[in-house]
Amino acid sequence: MQDIKAIYFDGNSSIAQSIDFVLDEKNAIFIFGSPQLGNAKHSILDAKISNHSGLLIIEFGTSPIQTIKIDDAEYIKYLKNYLSTNGIQTWYQKLINLGVKVHILIALSILGLIAVSYFFVLPFVAEQAVVLVPKSYDDKMGGEFYQHFVEYNEIDSAKTKQLEAFAQKLQFNSSQKLHFTVVKSDIVNAFALPDGHIIVFTGLLDLMQNYEELVALLGHEATHVNERHSVKMLCRNISGYLLISAILSDANGVIATIADNANGIYSLTFSRGFEREADLKGFEIMKVNKVNPNGMSNLFLRLKEGNKIDIEIPEFLSSHPVTDARIEYVNETIKNDFYKYQTNLELKKIFEAIKNDAPPK
Amino acid sequence: MEQTTTEQTVEEQKNYTLGFHGTGSELFGIIIVNWLLTVITLGFYYPWAKAKQLSYMFGATSLNNDRFAFHGTGKEMFKGFIKALIIFVVLYGILIVSVVFHMEILGFAIFYIGFLGLIPLAIHGTYKYRMSRTSWRGIRFGYRGERGQLFGVFIKGILLSILTIGIYGSWFAMNLRNYIFSNIKFGNIEFKSNARGSSYFVLVLKGYFLSFITLGIYSFWWMSEIFAFYVNNISMHKDDKEIRLKSTATGVGFLGLILGNLLIIVLTLGLGFAWTQVRTMNFIANNIELEGNIDLDTISQTEDEFTDATGEDVSDFLDLDITL
Repeated sequence: MQDIKAIYFDGNSSIAQSIDFVLDEKNAIFIFGSPQLGNAKHSILDAKISNHSGLLIIEFGTSPIQTIKIDDAEYIKYLKNYLSTNGIQTWYQKLINLGVKVHILIALSILGLIAVSYFFVLPFVAEQAVVLVPKSYDDKMGGEFYQHFVEYNEIDSAKTKQLEAFAQKLQFNSSQKLHFTVVKSDIVNAFALPDGHIIVFTGLLDLMQNYEELVALLGHEATHVNERHSVKMLCRNISGYLLISAILSDANGVIATIADNANGIYSLTFSRGFEREADLKGFEIMKVNKVNPNGMSNLFLRLKEGNKIDIEIPEFLSSHPVTDARIEYVNETIKNDFYKYQTNLELKKIFEAIKNDAPPK
Repeated sequence: MEQTTTEQTVEEQKNYTLGFHGTGSELFGIIIVNWLLTVITLGFYYPWAKAKQLSYMFGATSLNNDRFAFHGTGKEMFKGFIKALIIFVVLYGILIVSVVFHMEILGFAIFYIGFLGLIPLAIHGTYKYRMSRTSWRGIRFGYRGERGQLFGVFIKGILLSILTIGIYGSWFAMNLRNYIFSNIKFGNIEFKSNARGSSYFVLVLKGYFLSFITLGIYSFWWMSEIFAFYVNNISMHKDDKEIRLKSTATGVGFLGLILGNLLIIVLTLGLGFAWTQVRTMNFIANNIELEGNIDLDTISQTEDEFTDATGEDVSDFLDLDITL
């Protein structure tokens, strides 16, 4: 190929200087010059070559960095061809040259990979990681929350005592001591803390009609403690968040926001898995204690009753499985896993005392 | 006779054109290849990725048909990344140690003051690095601001903003902007920004109010006003000659840009990000006019090289979005 006219900037002034440019293919150097400048040469191997549509820019040298601008389309083609056939082209450039279709494919593959690791690998790893979290962490986390909670809520100490007595009569398959607290509130709910505190609101107790329902509730909550659901949840949320922020730190805000919300929705599904486990293991606890399992489906009816005012939230947005679905699978379990139960008079008596607001005789 | 010659040189208007020549598919390729390499290397490729992307964006921008160039390298930014990492490890270390020794208040105080103090340092470092690594026709830009002075502007701004429940914020933002821009050099051309806090305050107040009563529709016109305010207050000087910047952006233009970008992002689930960036750059380049009489053939190299990218990386950590 013959020499061509190009533009040269010497790195000292902004004056565009017209030069003749020629490539010495054999020695991998380029030679450029003009009557005013004389001739100079430089290795093409340590020059930075960037290609913009219809323009090739060669930068070389350090202080000052000099620039050569070539806009001859034929010559650019020739130079590019020379670079790629002689392996001078960087691997990065090769990846760029794959073209937009391959790039879209790469993008979709990465997204697929992320989805797979997010939905399958991550929950598994996170649950395994829970073993590494010492039990004392559960106690600390739960204990601190409990301290705050009782400061801002009114405990019904008489009922708390009765509930403790009620729980004494039951077996929970629990490796740790459980503590039961009744809090005065209209809220129709109960919850468990990782340190073994189980809190029941009077709103829910008032709706209950049978001690079996209370056994079902305590069994459910005790399972949350036994299975360390809180810490599992925390592990998964943190690892999910880490994965998302690691992968998307480079991406733009919109994708990041979408992914962040996806994480939120997915962790709800995850917690629903925990609720289901708590229901089913709670059922086991009822079985061990020979309590009528219908208490569990009745309990769900009470919850449904108590939360009637609420608009029914679609299942994928709700942390608990929708009540109807729960009733369905619990009834199924009762049918398939039939066992003999008997009326427990002691429990019945304490339950009635709780309901009547009087100490058991 | 003599007088006419002087008049002629002073009055002689030059032509300047800004342009952007990047395409969505090129930028998309860079973003995706970078993404792939970043994922494979568990994030370590990030500094190189950033250098490639900046290099593309600068290289695609032109003034009078000559391209800008970004010379920053992944290696420089990686070194900066390590230094930035150390700074943050130390800050978090102080916090953790203080919690362990039950001196939380002291620890949090140091932590937050440290964080706040880092912001001006990061801005300073970012401009110093970016400007020095940017060139046009081989002539480097430069930032000559003093760290201590910027720190002073920043501290004064924060304190007065707190005292005036945020009202001073407009003056603060403009003081910061003026300080930074007035310290930018392009070879022997000096930049100047002369944005007044009071005008900005009125602009913000008016925009906020009108956007509110028009249910947000006015916000596009508001954006075009703020854009114009920023741009029109920037000028460049060399000896007795100057170039003034002028915005030609309109509210309708912003409306088209933003709604279009939004549509692209939503319809492609974010993958069309590259195309929105190209649209935005095109919009900016097409909506800034330069008028004046500086001869662009007479710029000479004056600025030193500065290759420490720590500030750039601290800005990344802090999520400061620093644009030129």
